[in-house]
Amino acid sequence: MLKINNLVSGYGSVQILYGANMKVDQQSIVALLGGNGTGKSTILKACSGLLRSWEGSINFNGEDIHNLPPHEIVKKGLVQVTQGKDVFPAMSVAENLRLGAFVLNSNKKLNDNLEKVFDYFPRLNERKNQLAATLSGGELQMLCIGRGLMSSPKMIMLDEPSAALAPQIVLDIFKNINKIRKDGLTVLVVEQNVRMALLLSDYGYVIKDGVINVEGDSKKLMYDDSVKDSYLGGTKANV
Amino acid sequence: MFKTFRFTRKVENTLMFIFIGLFLAFCSASPDMSVDSLKSVLLIGITVGIIYGLVAVGISLIYTGLDIVNFSHGEFFMLGAFTGLTVYNFIVDGELIYAIFPEAYGWIAYVIGLFFAFVVMGLFGVLVERLFFRPLTRKGGGYTVAGMGIIICGFGMSVVLQNLAYLIWKPSPRPFNAELGMPINISGLTLPMPYVWMLVTGLIVSAALYFFLNKTKMGLGVRAVAHSKDISNLVGINVPLYISITFGIACALAGIAGTLVGPTYQVVIYMGYIILLKAFASAVVGGFGSLPGAIVGGFTVGLFETMGSYYISGSHKDAFAFILMILVLLIKPTGFFGVSVKMKA
Repeated sequence: MLKINNLVSGYGSVQILYGANMKVDQQSIVALLGGNGTGKSTILKACSGLLRSWEGSINFNGEDIHNLPPHEIVKKGLVQVTQGKDVFPAMSVAENLRLGAFVLNSNKKLNDNLEKVFDYFPRLNERKNQLAATLSGGELQMLCIGRGLMSSPKMIMLDEPSAALAPQIVLDIFKNINKIRKDGLTVLVVEQNVRMALLLSDYGYVIKDGVINVEGDSKKLMYDDSVKDSYLGGTKANV
Repeated sequence: MFKTFRFTRKVENTLMFIFIGLFLAFCSASPDMSVDSLKSVLLIGITVGIIYGLVAVGISLIYTGLDIVNFSHGEFFMLGAFTGLTVYNFIVDGELIYAIFPEAYGWIAYVIGLFFAFVVMGLFGVLVERLFFRPLTRKGGGYTVAGMGIIICGFGMSVVLQNLAYLIWKPSPRPFNAELGMPINISGLTLPMPYVWMLVTGLIVSAALYFFLNKTKMGLGVRAVAHSKDISNLVGINVPLYISITFGIACALAGIAGTLVGPTYQVVIYMGYIILLKAFASAVVGGFGSLPGAIVGGFTVGLFETMGSYYISGSHKDAFAFILMILVLLIKPTGFFGVSVKMKA
């Protein structure tokens, strides 16, 4: 569904990605793992158009989405949910969700999606008239994912959905991600929480220094020493 | 290292109240003070205030949407006045309008003038944004080095637009003789028709703006872009388009305000300069970046200025607005509706 070929990108003149290759199959959950500053979020930003890619190609659903403007990419059905729970704090939860459906033209579809999101996250329904600024961390994350689902995407990319959340809420959110996949969406998950991400996903990629270092079935990766190495800095400490 | 000094909110509010109380005491000590004069001063103050409010809303919209302070906004006001005047004169000079409306041709031509000022200034604003501000803002907004550049470019743009008006309409002041009918009487007060038009149109336009921003999809998009361009991109909003829309609406509001002010005064190419500063003062008083704040700030500045010039000193009319602005910046730098940057949507 999503094919990234030899992607090179960065911020300003700082190069982050040195030719990353990835493939995400339809209706699967793929985990993208890696330490801080290795380029996980950069890949997502390049896919969603927030960041220009310098070289390489990004193919979504058979179409080249390489360097399209971000709103065109959303229209094609590829949605990114950013890290850090970015919402519009001065708007109500319902308004935030309605913004997520900005690319939709029919009201009926919007209401259908709204119901679907409330089905995944009943907590949002309880709080739909509250200002988003008053939500808790977990609820904000639910709102972000819900907002991503509002545009009826084909694939959703989540950037660290478990960051700074209580384990109970992380479990709840991961269950919902699984449910979202069962309903026909493709999910790409960027995570720091390796164990949880590998339990959830079918396939995993480990990125290191801007290139994909290790890849494989999640179950295999779980016991792979090289994953541990990439997280601990790569070179084994000489003790 | 340095801790910025701020009063607590309670002290801020108390100081503001003391200041406003002092001002009112000065006003009431004036020999001209009477119920009748107060009524008319308040009415004129509100009327002038709504014009300041409309221009200030534009400045705030551009500030939230583009992260720049548009110092050429007064010129859109001036160009709007000229557009309204030209359209009005064009219609009245032609014979057609008398044939269709032999009686009330004046206000119909005026409405068409207002409409044209709104539309033409809106489109012109979009053009200016696309051609000049877009390439500049790409280098970063706010008070970065590029942001400082943008402030200077704003002043430059203001001179360019003034000279454009000079080329088209010549520098001599032009009277705007709108035939709007006899002054009306509201409980003993006679209010000239141009002021009635200002008040009514101003209120309608602000209500329409409120409706647009809060109830329509496009308004939701404008607010979203004002808050964060990144999230707006991710939910599929065409951000460059919406920035243009924001700029266009702001300029259209200034244009309509210009045509509203025209008949009470005359149309000159220098009229934009002072209104820009007054509207800037209004935006600061209400809280920079807050739209309701801009309207309330407009009313405050209008009332303050009218009362001050009538009761205290007529020759220092323009000073009162800026005294108020300086005091607000000293005592309560966030303004009445002070919004923290995060909540500016």
